[in-house]
Amino acid sequence: MKQHTKLNQKQDIVAEQQTESKAAREFSNSDELLRFDAAQTSVPPEITQRLQKSTAQISPPASRSWWKNLFRR
Amino acid sequence: MNEPIAGQDVEVGAPAGWAAPELARLYDLHSRAIFYLALRFLGDVPRAEDATHDVFLKAFRRLDQFRGDASVRTWLYRIAINHCNDLCQSWHNRHIHTTSEDAVWENSPAKSDSPLRVLETKELGQRIQQTLDALPDEYRLLLLLVADEELSYDEIAALVGQSTDAVRGKLHRARKAFATHFEKTN
Repeated sequence: MKQHTKLNQKQDIVAEQQTESKAAREFSNSDELLRFDAAQTSVPPEITQRLQKSTAQISPPASRSWWKNLFRR
Repeated sequence: MNEPIAGQDVEVGAPAGWAAPELARLYDLHSRAIFYLALRFLGDVPRAEDATHDVFLKAFRRLDQFRGDASVRTWLYRIAINHCNDLCQSWHNRHIHTTSEDAVWENSPAKSDSPLRVLETKELGQRIQQTLDALPDEYRLLLLLVADEELSYDEIAALVGQSTDAVRGKLHRARKAFATHFEKTN
């Protein structure tokens, strides 16, 4: 009975280690880590709504040449 | 419904809620990068939200001043960095780091290229923020900028007003400091 309990304990430990290794994530450097973090970060929709209200009064300019500058790169 | 013809300049109506399609596009392309910089630089979600709103509002108002000398992303980052620096100064919440603290990082055994291992992704953001908060503003900013793959070293150097070589050297120390402190947050 005791041996059976010990076996169970070992199995639990192995299972725990396996779960841990599955959850573990390794990043080769801080750049990679921060890129992952940035990709996980979403922009709160409240900002969009506030900005839409704030920019509602900004009229698009007559000339579009600077818009083309804006998106050329 | 007619399909747009390739190469033809097609006028498209603004998406719902936006005054102009260009504003929507600008925001769509760059809001994540600007929000992330503000979030991790300021270390506070409501402040980062306010900063992101204010940065894009400033950009929209100054769009006619954009000359196209730099990329749009770089131009937005410049506005964001100035804005965040102004906020930090006005809040008097700059972190003060002594040279002795810097020396601890510089002499620490951790290498900037040693793997950073994390077990729980849900706590990752907190650990990153704690680590960044512990670094000098300059290191924090450089690490955040270099994490954006759209920026070259030259562009980062221009943004922070230093030479490319100086940026490379400081980034080496910043990565090392990050790695050292990140391990302590575990």
